[in-house]
Amino acid sequence: MPDIVLEYASEIRLAIGQTFVMVGISILAAVLVGLPLGTWLYLSRKGQLLSNRFVFSSLNLLVNTIRSFPFLLLVVFLIPFTRIIIGTAIGTAAATVPLAVIAIAHYSRLVEQSLLEVPKGVIEAAVSMGASTREVVLKFLFVEARSGLVLGLTTSIVSFISYSTIMGVVGGGGIGDFAVRYGYQQFQTELMLYMILIMVILVQLIQFAGTTVARLLDKR
Amino acid sequence: MISLRNVDKSFSKQPVIQSVTLSIEQGEIHGIIGASGAGKSTLLRLMNLLERPDAGIVEFDGTDLTILPKQKLRQIRQEMGMIFQDFNLVGNKTVEQNVAVSLELAGVKKHERTDRIQECLRFVGLESFARKYPTELSGGQKQRVAIARAIANRPRVLLCDEPTSSLDPSTTSEILRVLQDINQTLGVTIVLVSHEMQVIQSICNRVTIMADGRIEATVATEPAGITEITSDAGWFLTQLVERRDSHA
Repeated sequence: MPDIVLEYASEIRLAIGQTFVMVGISILAAVLVGLPLGTWLYLSRKGQLLSNRFVFSSLNLLVNTIRSFPFLLLVVFLIPFTRIIIGTAIGTAAATVPLAVIAIAHYSRLVEQSLLEVPKGVIEAAVSMGASTREVVLKFLFVEARSGLVLGLTTSIVSFISYSTIMGVVGGGGIGDFAVRYGYQQFQTELMLYMILIMVILVQLIQFAGTTVARLLDKR
Repeated sequence: MISLRNVDKSFSKQPVIQSVTLSIEQGEIHGIIGASGAGKSTLLRLMNLLERPDAGIVEFDGTDLTILPKQKLRQIRQEMGMIFQDFNLVGNKTVEQNVAVSLELAGVKKHERTDRIQECLRFVGLESFARKYPTELSGGQKQRVAIARAIANRPRVLLCDEPTSSLDPSTTSEILRVLQDINQTLGVTIVLVSHEMQVIQSICNRVTIMADGRIEATVATEPAGITEITSDAGWFLTQLVERRDSHA
């Protein structure tokens, strides 16, 4: 281990921990809210099972709007909302709020896209067998789209890591913040490079895991 | 058994089915033939309300399906199996899982499911393929899985939407034989939509001819039997050579 990394070992450990908390909450939000939201977005489309123009346009507009914010501005814009939920707008916990919001919007769009890949005939067969909308989603759509859903989540997680690096602006900490404050601002370029290296390794691992899982799940 | 009365259906203001009245009798194999775009598939899809009619009544055993609450309609759909041109199997489920899902939807208990899956796969001659995925099967085998899935809940009607249109001639006769068997040994009423005259002639007792969204005629026919067609190279060669010689 390089000396400079050892010197800051405890700070780095803390930063990695903060990144994991922020990214972990984002993943949780993406799966728990983004997945159902993306599914609803898909189902409310024209010609789909819960086809409803008003619902679709509203959800579509909402997701687009959130995704069109430059992320830094979204963080600032959400400060009052974050205060209501967490009680403060500063710190790692507070940072998870805007991250969760962008995570939901980001993943729901990818969920919608994956579901659109499922052949319509499969849904039709499901309906002809007497499946309810819930059963169509759980027993057919998600089964057929599962590798796409995993790949989409993998792409999202990589983005979440990137988003988490700028949470230093609200005291969220994390590896990115550490690299900027200790590496860049204190002219310790080497330290910054090591932090970038950690991020590169992290992203490689996540992408490898995601691609492998998706391949194993795909029997089509 | 199924009866449509004065049914209309349009897609984006384009009429596809115009005041059609038709009844399917218990136990028959009823063919529906017509050119592409004549409305035959739509007519079939109206029978289990995959398409809702704009006007008119769709009855199954005297029950008007168009006014049924969703829950009831889903139960009735389990009494009507359906197969498609593109098979529409779930690619990420094995053969047995594809059949199982239809039983799950009907609320069949797990231990009963295993036996019934075996029984259905045996009926279509695929019991040794239970653990395979659809991508490992040929077109004819996929269609037989779809048939096993459609008959798993012991439906009283089997709706067939161009079931042989993406299959070669010998596989077509293989599937037609399975359909005839379902009709004769299980007593399932069959509605068969096809644009292929040979297919319709081979097993149907009654045939409805459609054109431009209307019924031209419904006639009783004597099933001509399923022609033995082989798709091996020798057969192709004889066919081509005979044809050339007869023109000479």
